[in-house]
Amino acid sequence: MRKKNMNKKVAKVLSVVAASVLALGLAGCAPAGDSGSSEGLKIAIMPKAINIGYFTAWNEGAQKACEELGATCDYIGPNEATGPAQVEFINQVIQQGYDVLVISAADQNAIVPSLQKAKEAGITIVTSDADVAAESKDSRVVSILPSAADRIGTAEVDWIAEAVGEKGSIAVLSASATAANQNVWIEAMGPYLTENYPNMSWVGGTVDKSTFYGDDDATKSTQQFNAILTQYPDVAGIISPTTVGVLAAAAEKKAKGANVKVTGLGLPSEMAPYIEDGTVEKVGLWNPIDLGYVAVYAAVAAKNGTFDGAVGSSFEAGGKTYAVVDGNIVFLGDPFTFTKDNIAEFKVIY
Amino acid sequence: MKKLSKLIRSRELPVFFALALVYFGTGFANPQFFTVTVVNDIFLGVAIVAVLAVAQTFVLVMRHIDLSVGSVIGFTAFMIGDLSSQGYPLIVVLSAALLIGAAVGAVNGYLVAYLRLPSLVVTLATMYVVRGIFNEVAKGQTIVESDVPEELNWLGLNRFFGVPYLFIIGIILMLVAGFVMYRVRAARDLYAIGSNAAAAELVGIPVNRRVFFAFLATGAISGLAGAVMLARFNSASTNSGLGLELVVIAACVVGGVTIAGGAGTVYGAVIGAILLQEILLAIGALGIPQFWQLAVNGILIIAAIGLDRYLSTRVKSTSIMGNK
Amino acid sequence: MANFSLPKIQLSWDKGVVLFLVLAIFIGSFSSEYFATASNLSFVIASIAEIAIIATAMTYLIIAGEIDLSVASMMSLSSASIGFAFREGLPFEIAILIGLAVGLAAGLFNGILVTFFGLPSLAVTIATLALYRGLCWVLLENKPVNQLPEFWISLGFRNIPNTFLPWSTIPLVILAAAAWVVLHHTKTGRWVFAIGINPEAAKFSGVPVNRVKLGLFAYSGLMSGVAGVIYTLRFASASPDGGVGYELSVIAAVLFGGVAIAGGVGTMWGVLAAVVSLGVMRSGLQLVGFSANALLIVSGGLLLISVILPKVTEFVRIRNSRASTPKIKQKNEEKKYE
Repeated sequence: MRKKNMNKKVAKVLSVVAASVLALGLAGCAPAGDSGSSEGLKIAIMPKAINIGYFTAWNEGAQKACEELGATCDYIGPNEATGPAQVEFINQVIQQGYDVLVISAADQNAIVPSLQKAKEAGITIVTSDADVAAESKDSRVVSILPSAADRIGTAEVDWIAEAVGEKGSIAVLSASATAANQNVWIEAMGPYLTENYPNMSWVGGTVDKSTFYGDDDATKSTQQFNAILTQYPDVAGIISPTTVGVLAAAAEKKAKGANVKVTGLGLPSEMAPYIEDGTVEKVGLWNPIDLGYVAVYAAVAAKNGTFDGAVGSSFEAGGKTYAVVDGNIVFLGDPFTFTKDNIAEFKVIY
Repeated sequence: MKKLSKLIRSRELPVFFALALVYFGTGFANPQFFTVTVVNDIFLGVAIVAVLAVAQTFVLVMRHIDLSVGSVIGFTAFMIGDLSSQGYPLIVVLSAALLIGAAVGAVNGYLVAYLRLPSLVVTLATMYVVRGIFNEVAKGQTIVESDVPEELNWLGLNRFFGVPYLFIIGIILMLVAGFVMYRVRAARDLYAIGSNAAAAELVGIPVNRRVFFAFLATGAISGLAGAVMLARFNSASTNSGLGLELVVIAACVVGGVTIAGGAGTVYGAVIGAILLQEILLAIGALGIPQFWQLAVNGILIIAAIGLDRYLSTRVKSTSIMGNK
Repeated sequence: MANFSLPKIQLSWDKGVVLFLVLAIFIGSFSSEYFATASNLSFVIASIAEIAIIATAMTYLIIAGEIDLSVASMMSLSSASIGFAFREGLPFEIAILIGLAVGLAAGLFNGILVTFFGLPSLAVTIATLALYRGLCWVLLENKPVNQLPEFWISLGFRNIPNTFLPWSTIPLVILAAAAWVVLHHTKTGRWVFAIGINPEAAKFSGVPVNRVKLGLFAYSGLMSGVAGVIYTLRFASASPDGGVGYELSVIAAVLFGGVAIAGGVGTMWGVLAAVVSLGVMRSGLQLVGFSANALLIVSGGLLLISVILPKVTEFVRIRNSRASTPKIKQKNEEKKYE
């Protein structure tokens, strides 16, 4: 019996040793780092998650830019929108020797060490749609964001004010509590409402106490919508600065026949039925296609040395010039708004 | 009298008691809780979990588990919308959902019953595989209201004398399943298998066949439940149903359907589902700050499990022939 | 050692996994030029470190017939505690100790619920999964903690000088070795197996079943705490939503490593080989171009194979043994395996 165990053990040790030798030996055969070749650049386009419609549109824009620039673009990413999941794919980008990485940060902190590694490997990094934390802005060249953060938040306040006739109390149905974009927009909403609409208020007193988190999940968003109505039956309007949230809120409002006004950031293709039947009067969104398109141009310009992302510098894309502002960020412009008048046109685009 | 004492000693009573306790307790603290809207919200919110909990009971009483239900329901919810938007009639679309669910259930059932593989492993694997296939098929699209079949849309929005149709569907399913589990010999066998599979086999119960069909039924119901999910939210995406299996299992356990098998009823499962939904709404109504809500939810579930365990062991000691 | 001879090739799943690991490394190296590089291997090891450490504890629990679904939440809670303590001004070293203590406490709480209150571990740990995750939110609300000390961050993503091994390899190897020794070569390890095979019999043989189980849950908590420290350093931040879903990866790896879910069977090297090979395989497939969705399908498929294959070999063995038994016995056996 003991000899059998001993043989088993020996076999096991042998195989582990064999494996390690193999691994170490092959590690010695590591290919030299691949620097940019003279033909088209190799670009990785990385969304927060690949199964989200919004990012499919974002990628469309990126691919268009790649075609125009003669680069090869690969759409790579995780299927869950978390930092650790993205890190795995950032590693793939490093290993496969990409020249450029255009990424929408799923977590503003968790991916920073990996981005540093990518930077050290010579990859040019541009964030688009969602940025890393402000303290870590050195890990990327520049960030392409839709509009100035406060502009998005304040615009939404304007839309809800219009809908409720500039009086009543408001609540916010957001994404995840740690979603950096949303948090910045919501922060801007607070003082803006108090300053500009004296007859309106936040249901919980401050905007922080009036924010509910739907985690970008249909079920949770619906539950939270109902929670708002239960806790604050007199609520006049709900702002949902996330496409999943505003869709859930609109659907639930219709289902309940509730009296509350709903607005927020919505994809025209998803929100069309609710705008057409009047459940929702207006939603807004920038065009994710543009975000992807401009980001690729910025990244390629940086890679080619004509643009360094410094505050005040600029680059061109699609015939327009974009300038870099504080924080090494480029803002694209105010969001579009979608109402009954133009929804038919936009719902087929994105 | 006998029926009354049996009722008092049932596993379901403690859960029902908890249900009432939470309702009145919360209402006492916040009278807003007593409105009809809240009751309606609970009913509407619980429909999906209730249907899945009924299905999960079939496998839980046999001492098995089915973790793939979340992936299945999400997939079929999406497929119903997708096929419907391509013009297929409702009956075709629903049959497709049923077939998908049944197919997954059949695979699970075959592996567990005939190959004697552990159900935790098998259904964990099918959960991953189905989710992966779902993601590939969906390619990031979202199902929106215009894709939803009119009939489902109508069901989701309307009520029968104030009770949402979706909830009624859940109740009907519960009543039918409850009846079958009690009266139909083949279904009662499931309890025997859960108590002692070897003994069940010795008395002539065709264990493999029962196990197979139980998983098949669970899969088929989960597939059809996709219609309920789509009707409820009027949307579906690759996130649909993610993590739902844990909620369903918690609902069953809280409702007296033990993981150890051999005990619990579909009535208990549904009551458990309602209790969990109620707790969710109560936490909000009690004004517990957002960031504390998940923790409080966890504590309450532990309390519910503990209460059920405590009361069921007491019951065990007082009745020989009664419930386990 | 005069009688040393090559062992007969037995169809045992544990050896299968080790073989799978070697095969995966082999195939990975040849199918993609990017696979066997120092930097990629370093990344693979770094990415499995947390799962491996938690898996060592999960192995004990499953062998003993229990399970712990709250490990990911405990890992995140430990990470959140570190972040919280650091943000409140405590020195980072103290924060790390607090993180470990929190993990241990959470594990103990699980253990008490299971042993003292007699609640089923599957159900209870689903509830504590929610509870501990909830506590992460209580601690950090919606403000993740970044700006951690440079020294510790570099430990998180740099390698041991002159090697391709990340720093997390050190705790990983020490804990894995210790776990292996205790499970297979000490009395405690034998107790764990005994409890898994037959808890009643174990109790009557004098094994302090409840005390051992309590210890295993505490150990699970502590290992989750260690994983939490490594996680915090690797991602240079503490966030309330870290590590969501890790428990399933851990359990899948443990099951793939040959540990029977029913308890009583399993080996530590099987589990460690499983964790490493799953990481290796993921990396290899990714570098060849598999999408995230395809990886999901492959993971599920592998898990299925990991349980189907041993069963098939068992059936084959029974068929073979049947052929050599007298006819009467055969008839009874046929009925049994219908």
